[in-house]
Amino acid sequence: MESKKKGKDFCIFALPGMFCFFAVVIIPFLYGVYLTFTDWDGVAQTKNFIGFSNFIGVVRDGQFWLSLLLTFRYVIVVVILVNVLAFAIAWLLTRGIKGQNFFRAGFFTPNLIGGIVLGYIWQFVFSRVFVNIGESTGWKLFEISWLSEPNKAFAALVLVSVWQLSGYMILIYVAGFMGLSEDVLEAASIDGAAGWAKLKNIIMPLMMSSITICLFLTLSRAFMVYDVNLSLTAGGPYGTTEMAAMHVYEKAFTSRQFGVGQAEALILFIVVACISGLQVYLTKKQEVEA
Amino acid sequence: MMKQTEVGGTRKKVTNSLAIAALVVLFIAYMFPFIMVVINSLKQKRDIIKSPFSWLYTIKGLSFDNFVKAFTQMDFLNAFKNSLFVTVSATFLVTLLAAMLAYYIVRNKNVISGATFALMVASMIIPFQAIMIPLVSIYGGTLNILNHRLTLIFMHTGFSMAMSVFMFHGFVRGNVPIALEEAAYLEGCTHTQTFFKIVLPLLKPIISTMVILNSLAFWNDFLLPSLVLTDKKLLTLPLSTYSFYGTYSADYGTIMAGLLLCVLPILILYVVLQKQIIGGVVAGAVK
Amino acid sequence: MKRKVKGKAVAAALILTLTVTGLTGCTFGFASDPDDPNQVEEKVEIDTSIDTFSYDSALKGTSITLMNSKAEIQVALEEMAVVFEEKSGVHVEVMPVTDGDSPYTKVVSLYNSGNPPTLSILDTTDVIALAQEKAEDLSAEEWTKEAEGYLTEVNGKVYGFPLCIEGRGLIYNKAVIEQALGETFDPASIKTQEEFTALLDRLVAAGIERPVSMAKEDWSLGAHQLQYIYETYDGTSEGAQQVIEQIKSGELQVEDHQRMTEFLNTFDILKKYNVAKGDPLGADYDEMAIDLADGKTAFWFNGNWAWPNLKEAGAKNEDAYGLLPYFLNNDENDFANQMIQGSPSKQVMLDGQVADEKQKAAAKEFLNWIVYSEIGQQMLVKTCNVIPPFKNNPYEPEDPLSRDIYEHVQNGTAFNASAIVPNDHWAVLGAAMQKYLADRCDRAELMAAIEEYWSQQ
Repeated sequence: MESKKKGKDFCIFALPGMFCFFAVVIIPFLYGVYLTFTDWDGVAQTKNFIGFSNFIGVVRDGQFWLSLLLTFRYVIVVVILVNVLAFAIAWLLTRGIKGQNFFRAGFFTPNLIGGIVLGYIWQFVFSRVFVNIGESTGWKLFEISWLSEPNKAFAALVLVSVWQLSGYMILIYVAGFMGLSEDVLEAASIDGAAGWAKLKNIIMPLMMSSITICLFLTLSRAFMVYDVNLSLTAGGPYGTTEMAAMHVYEKAFTSRQFGVGQAEALILFIVVACISGLQVYLTKKQEVEA
Repeated sequence: MMKQTEVGGTRKKVTNSLAIAALVVLFIAYMFPFIMVVINSLKQKRDIIKSPFSWLYTIKGLSFDNFVKAFTQMDFLNAFKNSLFVTVSATFLVTLLAAMLAYYIVRNKNVISGATFALMVASMIIPFQAIMIPLVSIYGGTLNILNHRLTLIFMHTGFSMAMSVFMFHGFVRGNVPIALEEAAYLEGCTHTQTFFKIVLPLLKPIISTMVILNSLAFWNDFLLPSLVLTDKKLLTLPLSTYSFYGTYSADYGTIMAGLLLCVLPILILYVVLQKQIIGGVVAGAVK
Repeated sequence: MKRKVKGKAVAAALILTLTVTGLTGCTFGFASDPDDPNQVEEKVEIDTSIDTFSYDSALKGTSITLMNSKAEIQVALEEMAVVFEEKSGVHVEVMPVTDGDSPYTKVVSLYNSGNPPTLSILDTTDVIALAQEKAEDLSAEEWTKEAEGYLTEVNGKVYGFPLCIEGRGLIYNKAVIEQALGETFDPASIKTQEEFTALLDRLVAAGIERPVSMAKEDWSLGAHQLQYIYETYDGTSEGAQQVIEQIKSGELQVEDHQRMTEFLNTFDILKKYNVAKGDPLGADYDEMAIDLADGKTAFWFNGNWAWPNLKEAGAKNEDAYGLLPYFLNNDENDFANQMIQGSPSKQVMLDGQVADEKQKAAAKEFLNWIVYSEIGQQMLVKTCNVIPPFKNNPYEPEDPLSRDIYEHVQNGTAFNASAIVPNDHWAVLGAAMQKYLADRCDRAELMAAIEEYWSQQ
């Protein structure tokens, strides 16, 4: 009786959602994994099993490892900046300041614009607007387009990502702050040195679940950066800002090495999975301790 | 005692105005590209390129030409209809199914639910590029159901399932007391009744958050719809702006006008729902 | 609070209606200014009174798709499809490829989805990659005779319909040069690198500080510029192939390749006079068009596809624009200093795998219609504004750049060589060229990058 009921529950509650998820994500993913062991080029009618040679191709693709290294650099900077900024803004926005709803709406606006278009807009801002400011003010910072110098192009990419990602995170942190009880919030609003200590010792531990979620989301999103990479810098100048996801795409379609690209995507997935897993494990531990 | 509060009060005032100043500066920085879009959507290409900052003075009067062009070239009303249908259906589906699945996972700790949840969390980091081609070969080549809006809705639902379940899962675990449900069972409610009558209302805050996040993602998505929909009559709003991006150069003015046209509906939705989202979060947070 | 939400909803709805009415209403409110250079041009008149093309009535009602990767002719192709349907009863759905994904990616994903386009406009390398697996053999088609010299063969068979000829070189604005120098400018008077440099110096002396624009885009640097080292070997596609084979096998070292050194010499000259010298990688494509039209510069390295941009920047069909060769040395008799490059660029491939016989026949009829019908011929030249590779097409292109290339082709002062390079050539070596352009690497490093690239193929 009980087990029958359980089965019914499973069918009503779990099955529909699981079906969508498995049909759209898992099955194509497994099929994609299978493809990495074949010589299929995306076009041919036949697929031959070739073992691990695509993975050997990955090992040989020096550019892939460079792009992965660059992605690490990018992820570290973005994750830190996004979370610090979003946390700070969310904190400011839950202090009962006048017009805070207006601000909340404003900070979320970047998310209203989709990825590719967003990159184009920023490209316009960096290459036209800022240069224009540089011309009329003589500021060295904007003398040349940020997108034409490797380090500045990287900075531009970070800036845009932070700008875009922090909107979501502000939302989650605001929700987290509002979940804290009035007493805690009251305590947090007392400023000065004691305030900082309280922030660290009282608020942070209580916010740990929000922090876990936000870290996980920023981490995975930063690793997957593609849209903005493509439309803002397109990997330029001279290939110095090509991140892993973009490299995978280029490998599979521009260089026409479909199997190698697919294998690189798989490796990227494994890397991100390990790192995110580690992060969730570590922050969860903090939560428990708190 | 009295004095102390006062001191605290002035200090609070000072820091509050500092906070407001910081917010205003950050706010302007956040809005800056958006402002540039609005300004330049009213200008012509030459002015956009040569003086992106100028406010209307280089052209003769206010020009809505870009908007007219974008509106007609996008076949706005039709694309709007498609976007609306896809976004509303997919958002409804994923929100309902994810809430149920997350609730099931939280309340039924067994191998299947544990494994599914772990798989979902892991799947959130699968690069879309890795499943793009397999996806179209399964749904196009084998099943041949591409080029239908329903297929797109199904795929949107599937792709955002993991993230939604993840968010619902966290909320249910933290904010839905099991005591309420147990009370309901004692009164003879079935699991389904309990979920819809007791649990779902408690999920309101996270539901509104997820509705906003998901509908935004669906509304703006480009890559997936471009793989699924090729028939012109079915194109969604972002797809319909394709023609503004040339091979060699982009038609900035029209792009910006088109962008504003795409964003406007969702902006309105956000303004309308904003109170509820934030308000809902507060209501839900009080345990 | 509920009420407030309601109020906001009303306000939002109001904004929406206002915007929509504003949008539809302003067509009347803001009549276009006749002097406005950015105004959309008036429709080209197509004479449809004569039509001797014989349509196969059995094909009526057939529906085919055409994937277009040449964004600038999307609207023109749609117009053509409408006229063709009126005449033949065959419906042609024109599908665009967006900038975000490459034509090849799009066509591959469409094949995987089991719903490939009947016809697809692709780059030559794409056709070669797909030919044997997917394409229909077009060797027996009538039009192959009209396009002699512009066909690409794979294993002796023709799989692609050459849609247009495109040419590139140093675009000049005649009026600007004449105004600066105060004398008439005869492009034919410039025959060597030295003469070209002397002209640039005179322009500088006359007040045009930096008279050259060059694009920073990797396709321009990696494909249009760098490929001169293969294509100027002897001015033929076979010659280009030979050089590539030699470099690939290591038989020819890049630093020993004479055309490489010559090419870099020319490239250095362009670099020196580059209007964006301070920030060459920050150069903006649209701004280059405006600068050339305005006379801030006198030269722009580009091809006839740049016309829509120049036109948008204010250039008119009656203006005198043309192309100079990419001068490689000081030998007047070197063909590279006499001729400009003009080759077929886009190919139309017919799907041989999924399309049924009727669709194939309809697609072939559409191609034939472009080549043989009076209307198709006109529309290819006038509506799409391309240079036709078909000898029997009597119409001449109207914009000055295409006209100049057309004349070069007619006078035999154009060479037709297309180097068939791997698909990522422009991206990988374009990046290396960007580095050189920005002075962040020297010749040796650039040449090493080229060798390295070929050694991996």
